[in-house]
Amino acid sequence: MALTTAPGRTGPTRSARPHASRRGAGRDRHGEGLAGYVFLSPWLIGLMGVTAIPMLLSLYLSFTNYDILTPLSEVQWVGLANYERMFTADPSYWHAVRVTLTFALVAVPLKLAAALGVALLLNRAWRGVGLFRGLFYLPSLLGGSVALAIVWVNMFNRDGAFNSFLAIFGIEGLPWVNDPEWALETLMLLAIWQFGAPMVIFLAGLKQVPSELYEAASVDGAGRVSQFWHVTLPMLSPVIFFNLVLETINGFQGFTAAFVLSNGTGGPVDSTLMYTLKLYISGFTDLEMGYASAMAWVFLIVIALITTVFFSTGRFWVHYSDGER
Amino acid sequence: MHPVTPPTAGSPAGPSFRTLAAPRRRILRGVVAAVVAAPLMFGAAACGDDGAAPGDGKVTLSIFWWGGEGRAKLTEDALALYTKKNPNVTFEKTFQANQGYFDKLATLTAGGNPPDIFQIDDNYLAEYAGRSTVLDLTSYKDSGKLDVSKFPKSLLEYGIVDGKLAGVAAGENTQGLVYNKTLLTKHGLPEPTTGMSWEEHIAWAEQVTKKTKVPGTQDPSADYKALWVWLRQQGKDLYKGKDLGFDEADVTRWFELWKGARDRGATPTPDVIHEGNSSDITKQLVVTGKSATSWVWVNQMPDLKKNTSDDLGVVAYPGDPSAQWARASMYWSVFKGSKNRDAAVDVINFLANDPEAVALLGTDRGLPSNMDLRAKVSETVTDPAMKQSIAVETELAATFGPSPQVPIKGHSKVKSELVKAAENAQYGRATPAEAAKQFLAACKSAIA
Repeated sequence: MALTTAPGRTGPTRSARPHASRRGAGRDRHGEGLAGYVFLSPWLIGLMGVTAIPMLLSLYLSFTNYDILTPLSEVQWVGLANYERMFTADPSYWHAVRVTLTFALVAVPLKLAAALGVALLLNRAWRGVGLFRGLFYLPSLLGGSVALAIVWVNMFNRDGAFNSFLAIFGIEGLPWVNDPEWALETLMLLAIWQFGAPMVIFLAGLKQVPSELYEAASVDGAGRVSQFWHVTLPMLSPVIFFNLVLETINGFQGFTAAFVLSNGTGGPVDSTLMYTLKLYISGFTDLEMGYASAMAWVFLIVIALITTVFFSTGRFWVHYSDGER
Repeated sequence: MHPVTPPTAGSPAGPSFRTLAAPRRRILRGVVAAVVAAPLMFGAAACGDDGAAPGDGKVTLSIFWWGGEGRAKLTEDALALYTKKNPNVTFEKTFQANQGYFDKLATLTAGGNPPDIFQIDDNYLAEYAGRSTVLDLTSYKDSGKLDVSKFPKSLLEYGIVDGKLAGVAAGENTQGLVYNKTLLTKHGLPEPTTGMSWEEHIAWAEQVTKKTKVPGTQDPSADYKALWVWLRQQGKDLYKGKDLGFDEADVTRWFELWKGARDRGATPTPDVIHEGNSSDITKQLVVTGKSATSWVWVNQMPDLKKNTSDDLGVVAYPGDPSAQWARASMYWSVFKGSKNRDAAVDVINFLANDPEAVALLGTDRGLPSNMDLRAKVSETVTDPAMKQSIAVETELAATFGPSPQVPIKGHSKVKSELVKAAENAQYGRATPAEAAKQFLAACKSAIA
């Protein structure tokens, strides 16, 4: 086979090939294709069995009154009733939407700002900068861990470590996680604190910015701030875009910390009732899986829309260095 | 640069691509079909097994319960005893903590793989019984294969949903107000007694707060079991048929009662009350030292005692104790689709009525349901906290009123809505009347 020939380049080869050999090649390719699918099969079976089929099933269930306990064969079609109820008859649904939007709108930008700020600091050639990079990255290794959420709850209790710290300055702290006015803010802080993953990506992005640009800019008389706005930010914009998309999706999906902090209830007084938690409670505590499926599909569509908005506005502010967009 | 090289890289591009597309699509279609078909085939094969009776008479029963290591040990011992007496029956045992237990049980049921025997409580019994997931044990009771003749009548009846015997009480308990004896003695304060009115209780708690600086009583306005007892004392109930057994005015009065208590300093601050509203036994305020009392079930006394070095006492909830009843702390139920129903029922019968098994299980799940064996177990118990809870419950049994109906479908949501409404009032975000209104509206949609 002409494996060494670069495909599509050599015009003469195309026409020179005899018909018979082309058919032969087809058979071989057929075999190759099959082999390809065989090698793909673990992923393909996983995708179908674990993702695609259950997803389609949940789409179907969202139009039914499925309650988990009733066998699927006896499930009743209820049309758009679940969607109607969600939008018109369930105040706690809209409450969950508000909580989630507040969380994402505050936590995501602050987290990205923190990540970028620390990445800029750690982009210098200091002694021991590697250690600091490691330390700042550490919290996000612990990721959505339950242990971390438990630590957080204990730190931000009325008699937690944070209030003991405030007490040094004579300030009497609040019961943060048990106060409906502050519980969500405490969760946001936890999310912001885990800025390590975007930070590492920002760092990698900063290393890619050619130093000639900075040299050229300083020759032209640009100061630090001006360099940041006119060189660093535009050069970094693809990375910012990437982080923004990922972190927004993550932010909307926040679940573990809210679940642990509220014992799975979204409390105190629904102040931490994130969308995913509301969905979980509907499905597993209230046994309204059809309703929960409907919520999940609305959620999917909304996140897809938000991501689309990012991608369509991206061309106005994301600059790729090779001139492509 | 070139775009990503297609999989058929080595081949010349051009017309051949078109001819290739067809078989490739066919393969893809085949793969998709196979993947879709596979689970169906396996599923069908699994279904085929269901009807077949095991040829050699060997039976494996799956059994699932919630609880800690201690309960697991006792239960495993009792089941081992059953296997010793019935060598053809073995068990697949699974247990886990209460949190997440019902998620798992529901998921197992949905997956068509529920355990033959499972532990359940009154929060979910009606949900499961109403969806024909649970085997109706009435015929076994009538034929004598399931012996409930030694059960208190009200305890047996508390397992009946829509005329079907859906669960057999694995133990009996009742509401218990647990208080910190050490703290009261230290400050020369009187201990609460059964039969105190709610007003007297709150006045007592106010005194406790003043003298000890520990809030006198956990505010139980978010606690459905306290509301339930209080409602029964007002001639109402939590449920009546398929409807609520109370109205907005009742709940308003209940919330006002506790707003008064909070204003008088008889209770902790809202955030501490919120901590205590958790069902987790280690977070109950009487063991964390944040309040002098907690509103629990009598049989939780020994578990509470394990979490504190202080001496604890237990009495009935305030008001007329005849509002309390012999509640099944939890039930054993059999999955309706089990292939080995008869064997499963026999195991439940054994766990309730075999003297050795009941002795092994003790009062871990509540007082034994079989009255004859309960008397025997009470004599042999050595754990002081357990002794105390048995004594109190036996004393209360004399005044027990009739059992209410088992909570209806939607009960778990009613419970969580009560917490939400009560906390809204506690944090001062709503007046008692507003909170009651919000609660009633939420309840109506929950049980609709």
